[in-house]
Order: sequence, then C-alpha cells, then structure tokens
Amino acid sequence: MVEVELRGVWKRFGDFVAVKNVNLRFPDGKFSSILGPSGSGKTTLLYLIAGIYKPSRGEILFDGEDVSRLPPNKRNVGLVFQNYALYPHMTVFENIAFPLTIKGLPRGEIEERVHSVARMLHIDELLDRYPHQLSGGQQQRVALARALVKEPAVLLLDEPLSNLDALVRLEIRGELKRLQRRLGITTIYVTHDQSEALAMADLIAVIHRGEIQQVGSPEDVYRRPRNLFVAGFIGMPPANLVKAAVTRTPTPCVVIAGGGEYCPGEPLASKLEALGLEAVVAAFRPEDVVLGEHPMEDYVSMEAEVYVVETLGRENLVTLRLPDGQAVKAITSPLLNPRPGDKMYVNVEPSKILLYDPDTELNIEAIEAAPAARPVSLAGSPERRRAAQEED
Amino acid sequence: MQGEGLLAGLLGSLKPRRRRRQPTEELPLASRAVSYTVIAALLAASLPIILSYTLLVELSFSASFIATPFEKTSFTLENWRLFFQGRLAPTAAQIYTPSYIRRMILDTLIVALGVMGVVVASATPAAYAFSRMNFRGRGALMRFLILLHAFPGVALIIGVYAIYVYTYRRLALGLHAGEAALLAYAFLYVIVARASLEIPMSTWLMKGFFDRIPWEVEWAALVDGASRLRVFTRIMLPLVKPGLAALSIFSFMAGWEELIYVVVFLPSKAPTLASYIHSQLSGGAIETAYLPVVAAAAVVYLIPTILFFVFTQSLLVEAAEGAGVKA
Repeated sequence: MVEVELRGVWKRFGDFVAVKNVNLRFPDGKFSSILGPSGSGKTTLLYLIAGIYKPSRGEILFDGEDVSRLPPNKRNVGLVFQNYALYPHMTVFENIAFPLTIKGLPRGEIEERVHSVARMLHIDELLDRYPHQLSGGQQQRVALARALVKEPAVLLLDEPLSNLDALVRLEIRGELKRLQRRLGITTIYVTHDQSEALAMADLIAVIHRGEIQQVGSPEDVYRRPRNLFVAGFIGMPPANLVKAAVTRTPTPCVVIAGGGEYCPGEPLASKLEALGLEAVVAAFRPEDVVLGEHPMEDYVSMEAEVYVVETLGRENLVTLRLPDGQAVKAITSPLLNPRPGDKMYVNVEPSKILLYDPDTELNIEAIEAAPAARPVSLAGSPERRRAAQEED
Repeated sequence: MQGEGLLAGLLGSLKPRRRRRQPTEELPLASRAVSYTVIAALLAASLPIILSYTLLVELSFSASFIATPFEKTSFTLENWRLFFQGRLAPTAAQIYTPSYIRRMILDTLIVALGVMGVVVASATPAAYAFSRMNFRGRGALMRFLILLHAFPGVALIIGVYAIYVYTYRRLALGLHAGEAALLAYAFLYVIVARASLEIPMSTWLMKGFFDRIPWEVEWAALVDGASRLRVFTRIMLPLVKPGLAALSIFSFMAGWEELIYVVVFLPSKAPTLASYIHSQLSGGAIETAYLPVVAAAAVVYLIPTILFFVFTQSLLVEAAEGAGVKA
C-alpha cells in the first residue's frame, strides 16, 4: 500500500492550464475523492497519477519516491475508466487476465487469481462472454476486476458509477466502499457527484478550474466550506448565498434584507473589523432554515415571500424571495405547506451562518488567521494544512 | 484505384444495415418507391458490366466465338483444356507449355502478394503514427499524402522508369548480377513501385480505423503494464483487423490487376495474367488470338478477386459486429 503525494503539480495543454499548482496527499489505505464539476481538471489529475499524462511541472510521489517520469506500465496502479475501456476482442477472462499475461505469470496462477477476483466481484459466471454481451454494471465489475487482479499499489477510479442506472449505482457504491475497506488499497475516486463523494470518501478534495478549493473530511467540506465555490457546490440544494451589508454600531453587524441582523461574536467580529469590509456574503444551508410565521428568539430572522413550493416526499423545498429579490431556499417538514405569496420568516441559528468576503470569496474565518493555524476538524492532519496553504 | 469505391460501398453497406434493420418494415410508401427507383437505376447503370462478365464466362465455355451473351453456342470444356495445356494461341509462333501457365499465375501472385505485403507493412505503422502521435509537420504530411495520391501513376512512370534503368544497368554492368538476380530485381522493383502508389491512400484508410479505437482502451493496456509495442500488437492490431482485411484485399487486387508497371518493368518472358491478356488483344495479336481461350484465362484471372472478397467480407462483417467498442 502506498501514500500518493502531489507537489506543485501543473498540467498545460497548449495554452490551456488544466491543473494549477496542486498540492495534495492521499493517505495510505484511505478512500479519497476528487470532487469537481465537469471540466474542472479532475480526470486530468487522475491521469497524472496514473502516468498517462506527464506533469508540466511538479512531482508525483508514491511513498516518497518520485514517479513523475515513470510510464504507466511501471507504476503498478489500477485504473477504472469512465467508459470502462474493456478490450472488445477479448473475453471477460482474457480481459481480467491481461495484466497478468503481460507479466508472464504461469497459466495456473493466472487462472487462480482471475477466478478469485471474479468470485469476489460476482462475475465468475461471465468469464466466457465478450464485453459487448454484458450490461453496464457487469462491464463495470469486469473493469474493476481487471484493475484489482494485479494487486495494485493504488486504485484509481474515474467516475466509475456515472454510466450506471440509479439502482445499480447505489448497490455498487456500497460494495465498492466495503471492498476498499477490506482490501485496504489506497483509492482515489474521481466524481462530479457530491453525494457519492460524501457517502464514500474518507477525504474529499474539491477541485474547480484546475485548482484545489478545499481538502477535508466530508463533514468538514459540508459544514465549513472554505470558499463560496465550495459552499455553492456542495449540498442538495447547495447553501444559500445572500449578499449582506456590514454596519458598525460600533461593533460590526451583518444586515441582511428583510430585517435579518447578525452580530457575530469574537473572534469573528474583530476579524470583520480588521478586514474593513462594507459587504459580505452570508451562507447558510437550506436544512438549517426554520420557516415560521413569526421571527424567532435568538435566531437571525428575515421576512420573505414564498415563491414556489416543491414537494420532495420526505420533505418540502420552499423557495422564498427576500424583499430585495434575493432567493432563499428552505427545507421544511412536508406538513408545512405554505402558498406562493405568503409572508413568512426565515429563521437561522446564528452559529449556522458563515460569512464570506465577496472579493476573495474566502470564508472570513479562514482569511485573517494564518491558514496553517486555521482550526480544522481533522486537526493534526498535515496534508490538509499544506493544501490549504498552497491554495491561497 | 478502385479500392476506395469498393471500400466505401462495403462499409456503407455494413453500417447502415444494422441501423436500418427495424425501421424498414414501416418504411413509408413514398420512400419505398424512391428506394426501388434507386435500385432500378443502379441495375441499369451496371448492366454493361453485368453483360460483359456474362459474355466472358459464357465465351470461356463456348465451342465457337460469340460476340454477345445471347448468341447460340454449344457448351465445351475445350477452351479450358487448351488453356491448362498451355496452348494459349493456335499460331505456331506461340507454343506454350503447361509450366508456362503455372509460371504466369505464379508471377501474378508474386506481384499481388508482394504489393499487399509492402502496403500492409508500411501503411499500418504509418497510420498508427498519424492517428496517435503528435509530431511536427503531421498535418502538412497528411495533406501531402493526399496530394501524392492525386498524382496519376502513369505520369510518375517516367521518373520511376529512369530510376529503374539507372539501377538496372548498375546491377547488370557494374555488379555483374546474374540473370536470376536481375529478374528478382525486376519483380522487387515492380512490387515496390506499385505499392508506393497505394501507400498514401492506404495510410489514410488505416488511420480511420485507428481513429475509431478509444484512447482509453490503449491507455488501459498501458496502465495494465503493457509496453508500447505490446499495446500495438496485442490491442491495436486485433482491433483494426477489419481495416487490415480491407487493406489486404485492395492492395492485393491492385497488384493482381496491375498492367502498366508490369508491362514496362517485367521482361516479356515473365508475363502476368494481366499482361498476357493484354498481349493477346493489343497490336496485331488480336488477328490471330483465339478469344475463347483468352476468356478462360480472364476467368482464372477473376477467381482470386472473387475468393478474396467472399472470405474477407465475412471477416469484415464479423469484425465489425464483434469488435464494436462501447465508447
């Protein structure tokens, strides 16, 4: 098993910079996820680790050893492509056996290992078939078996679930996670689907336009988005981002349309003061909103008009408009069923509100304190601190 | 080169057939009428070819000389007997022997297989490079290939002939090469010269087949531990098998059919089927030629084309259906 580290990695394609100065460490034996929208450079990052692309600058290390110049066949990684990339002219058995035949292992050992990995993935019935005779889920398992059979140091998965239908996806998702736990292989999983990343990963790296936005545990990324991109990307629906003014009375308070006023305590207040901001962006999650007919004590309350109500079954998703026209989403009990046009109060617990600098888009908590000393939930994990440092 | 036409037709008839299969049943009446009209027009257009082939085969089994497929004649195997006995012409000046026929067929095969070998061996790696590698001048070189193909082979023959004469003399006078060596050189020269006319378009054709293989399949093999050479032989080549088959047919047929280069460079004592048939019909020979025997030779001349096509076409269909790469 191997720890994978990227140090100052850049990748250019002509004038296009696909990956910008990425510093990341994927811990040994952990399930890490690279999460980002399409075109964010996440697959490029994975191909860099696999050796399909060579970095324009920077180093890639496996257990401290620089592998940046090694071709893929010398890196001992297993890679599952988004489209599986099975060899269409070979049977399932031949596909899975290919990495072993290339190594020139004896026939008996190849058969034994192929059968054992096929049994583990429940495809031992399919060994005589050709890839085009398989369903998407079966092809996916074959691709996984081919990646695992050579007992790779690192398992790389490129959106392996995105071509499957929803039910199969849930099933394989759980299986994949259990498998990774059992085998303890360092696994890097690329996805644009945050629910996959949140559900499976021990560590999430959010990437956007080739730059790492935040590295942290799922909880961390969800609860304490480091910048506005992460806040607006993670969550279903993502966090409400509301523009607000800063008043000084004399302590700084954040004034949101509809009568919402939030006077943060220390150390946030002095940070706000020190930065001298006139305006901020306030972020809060739709599920942290308590909708009511009246403002609530000790809550930040904003008057708003109901715009649309969507019934999601387990809950209702209510979209409201603040008096200045900004939209706010709230997740409520299905019993609460307001009509469009109703006046309601959006109540949010002050501790659930995060403040962002509209210019740098960074979480104000994160700005002033030196990033290395930033309080983080995975305290003591050096890769997070280093990553945070580099992003700024 | 009739190759592209045939290939386009072949591929054309392969691909849409699979997609069309179901909708055909509910084809609206108007478009059905259109397709019947198209079929009728195609039949009418190919009528002269069909009639000539019918006449050719009929003539080779005919006891007397006929000039249209509809003339009355009686069936005989005499022409074929004469052909295989080597009695290709009734005049005393041209008395041949059975071994001569075998030589003729063998010579034709040498040229055809030689052209095929040279074309396949050089166009396939070149096409792989054009498809997968990025190097300086790639685009310009690819355009240059098209230009090369646009040059008519007949125009090129003057330059090709000049080089031939020069090298042949060096070989004969300077190096005192024996007759057998000179004959071998003549064959080699015909093969390489003829193949070089095929290579530009063949490279384009094969590039198309390589282009259709997803990069991921190649990468997967690299990640699985295969070297570049292994990836090429174990993954890429099997996946372009239909292309190799097509390339083999077309280059084989180009060599089999070749007339001008054969007539110019091969000594007249080493005719191929094509140059023999040509010699019977050109100049004064037509006066004395016994056409039913020539027709038998022409039918023999057609056989490999038909065989090659029948076998490789089934390979093409199998490969196209079996090797469908899910992208």
